[in-house]
Amino acid sequence: MFIKRYRLTLVLALLLVVLSVASLFIGVMDVNLTGLMSGQAQQWKIFLISRLPRLLAILCTGVGMSVAGLIMQQLCMNKFVSPTTGATISSAQFGILLALLFLPNSTLWGRAIFAFAFAILGTWIFVWFIQRIQFKDVVMVPLVGIMFGNVIGGITNYLAYQYEMTQALSTWLVGHFSLVLRGRYEIVYLVVPLVILAFLFANHFNIVGMGRDFSKNLGVHYNFVLFMGLTIAAMITAAVVVVVGSISYIGLIVPNVVAMFKGDKIRGTLVDTALFGAVFVLACDMLARVVIAPYELPIELIVGIVGSLIFIGLLLYRLKHGRKAIRLGPAHAGSCAAAVKEGGQSA
Amino acid sequence: MMQVRELTKQYDGKVVVDGVTFQIPKGKVTSLIGPNGAGKSTVLNMISRLVARDSGLVDFDGKDIGKWKSKELSKRLAILTQTNNIQMKLTVRELVAFGRFPYSGSHTTAEDEAIIDRAIAYMELEDFQDRFIDELSGGQRQRAYIAMVIAQDTEYILLDEPTNNLDIYHATNMMKIVRRLCDELDKTVILVLHEINYAAFYSDYICAFKDGKIAKFAPVKEVMTKEVLSQIYQVDFEILNIQGKPLSIYY
Amino acid sequence: MKTAAHRGNRTKLLVLAALVLLAAAAYMLVEVNFSNPKLLRFSMQLRTPKLLVMLIAAFAIGGASIVFQSVINNTIVTPCLLGMNSLYTLIHTAVVFTAGSGSILAVNANAAFAVDLVLMGVAAMVIYGYLFQKTRHNVLYVLLIGTVLTSFFGSIQSTLTRVMDPNEYDALLTTLVASFSNVNGEIIAFSLVVLAVIILVLRRDLAQLDVLTLGKDQAINLGVDYDRSVRRLLLGVTLSIAVATAMVGPISFMGLIIANLSRQLLRTYRHSQLVLGSALFGMLILVAGQLVVEHVFTYAIPISVFITVGGGIYFLYLLLARRRV
Repeated sequence: MFIKRYRLTLVLALLLVVLSVASLFIGVMDVNLTGLMSGQAQQWKIFLISRLPRLLAILCTGVGMSVAGLIMQQLCMNKFVSPTTGATISSAQFGILLALLFLPNSTLWGRAIFAFAFAILGTWIFVWFIQRIQFKDVVMVPLVGIMFGNVIGGITNYLAYQYEMTQALSTWLVGHFSLVLRGRYEIVYLVVPLVILAFLFANHFNIVGMGRDFSKNLGVHYNFVLFMGLTIAAMITAAVVVVVGSISYIGLIVPNVVAMFKGDKIRGTLVDTALFGAVFVLACDMLARVVIAPYELPIELIVGIVGSLIFIGLLLYRLKHGRKAIRLGPAHAGSCAAAVKEGGQSA
Repeated sequence: MMQVRELTKQYDGKVVVDGVTFQIPKGKVTSLIGPNGAGKSTVLNMISRLVARDSGLVDFDGKDIGKWKSKELSKRLAILTQTNNIQMKLTVRELVAFGRFPYSGSHTTAEDEAIIDRAIAYMELEDFQDRFIDELSGGQRQRAYIAMVIAQDTEYILLDEPTNNLDIYHATNMMKIVRRLCDELDKTVILVLHEINYAAFYSDYICAFKDGKIAKFAPVKEVMTKEVLSQIYQVDFEILNIQGKPLSIYY
Repeated sequence: MKTAAHRGNRTKLLVLAALVLLAAAAYMLVEVNFSNPKLLRFSMQLRTPKLLVMLIAAFAIGGASIVFQSVINNTIVTPCLLGMNSLYTLIHTAVVFTAGSGSILAVNANAAFAVDLVLMGVAAMVIYGYLFQKTRHNVLYVLLIGTVLTSFFGSIQSTLTRVMDPNEYDALLTTLVASFSNVNGEIIAFSLVVLAVIILVLRRDLAQLDVLTLGKDQAINLGVDYDRSVRRLLLGVTLSIAVATAMVGPISFMGLIIANLSRQLLRTYRHSQLVLGSALFGMLILVAGQLVVEHVFTYAIPISVFITVGGGIYFLYLLLARRRV
């Protein structure tokens, strides 16, 4: 019974462990188990300075971005909202640029604070904005979000040109793990307490997702929970963007894929979403390191290619089959207001 | 003449219309009724080529509707659906003029203008003809669309829930217009209705759907009986006789 | 029906055309040395093709945007949302990548342009044709998939540039970015021919645009072969955008701004007027904008950045003003 119920979770966890171990031993410099066991100083050095930080950063990124996406989708009642399609990533980049401009000597933490502030602000404005507009179709919301992100990106570009910062900014435009080394990535650990917080409030997010009146009826403070949820999602995103740069799609795809198997209730899918996100980013990272070895491609490019293909497949699948979850063991069909207007063909 | 044979349609693996066969009586008003999801709108959309069918035949004047040239068909058969959201700034007269598109394209002739004038007059829209569509009330807008269909000058007019979103006054007016289209202009009208009593009072034939199949297709009097209606809608009915027409009460 | 509004619009269009002429004259003559005939000839030789390129691109983008909006039946979309800009960039990169920088394609700009256009047409027809078929002509889904494709094409393109030989990358960069400045007369003539052929082939479908704006059901009711018309028009839009992108590079929000300005100014459903208005607005913005970029900012900031920011803000204003999408 236990195994049947948590089969997906167990499979994902197992996969994650296997991939993590494999990831530790991929790279230009030779690091292997026998070397580490025999205590070779050089190998341990690479292991601790580069490989382990990289793995931890990847895990935090995968878990964080997919949980952030899940929270945003739940709160906005729309399956297509995510840090990419909700202007969060572009706002964080804008914040980083401002930090580079006005506090040229700022540390990583200084930039992080700017990124946090602007990511939160940008996400709030976006949600405020879409709540003010009546949408005829759920698909319009991400389109507006993408346009919104384009505007912020345009302003960022303008400032970058004006102050000749395009080169400096490009590090944060295309996400990559190659600069993740000990001492300059630890901010990404902020993801851990934030994800725990998200887990504690999962039920609240679920209720707020059902709407203002629904929450009021159950005695949940709508505005407070909404803004807290968005803040958590924005901070997770900003922490990742500051360290590795922009990584799109994870927040969009991972929750959608998991929901296809397990339904839409956030509490039941949070762990799976986090695990699957980590597996996905880990797999993409390994691909990025192997394709043109000994060089490596930025992870953003691999995610951009693999992720968009998966997302298109997902869209076409949903269009064809409506919102039915794929049956996998005792699946409970999700019944959230997430995609209310889909499959609207009535007789 | 329109004949439908073994019409079938599935959505997402669910059969919505299941082997429907009927013939439309010419020069009459025929109402399609039935519970939600019974397939009546889908049938209307299939016989008007708006929705593709999975299988079956729709024979229109000796030729399957899919074999007709779309432009030729649009001179013989008009369809008006509920979803008419126009984003453009369009006046009533300009909308009605579109009814002549199958004949003259975008450049209307003097003859077209005369037909447009008559259609507008028939719907009593003269005072509104230069107003924008999006500034009209629901009832006026519906009349403007009917005027367009009249200008289209077809033998067959298909209407999908024309009384939807209208109050009792405008809905009743709409039904009177439907009756006049048939009696005065000799149109064959086929419409989907939710209101059973409108169907009973204003049409000649009723085609009642249930679960994607035709439960009963007959003159009004034969459909409007306690037994037939109770069986279709699964509630109790009483039939009253008012002005020689059978009207129903349900509770 | 020659209504008063119709005549009023004609005046508005004439005023707009006059403004375009004014901007074009200013662009040609500002800071020109008239006393030295040699310098005068030199600046004319330099500026004439640039001006022509801007006018043609504005026409292509303006027309394509109006057609696209009417086909999609939504006035806040632009063809660049379908990922056509990035598809073009990808195709161009892929051609240079496979042919190599020494080949005829990299040296002869005309040949490269022709190959790009043909490939773009075929790729767009296959990809978007497949999408339309798969989504059963659900344009909103095609649009969302298009935005995803934008980053898909973009990612493949940057991957290619990273794998590329650095020398070939340099050669590519000049043809991709600086295409605006080194356009020659043959490419101008060629694009004019392409645009003329598009209009000629699609003239029937273009005449149906007024009816298409009534919505799918009404268009079918009035005898339009909807799916076929939409497919053909979208292919035309794709090729026009390809021509424009090849000449001036990707200008994302431009179509959105000019199409909506035209709709706001003319307040009509007639596409003959809307297309003209949109094209004229495009010419005005491009020429005047380039004038400012060249003489005020001395090329420091590309015009596309201004158009993205300005267009984006205009877009958000449109959304808030309408409150319904």
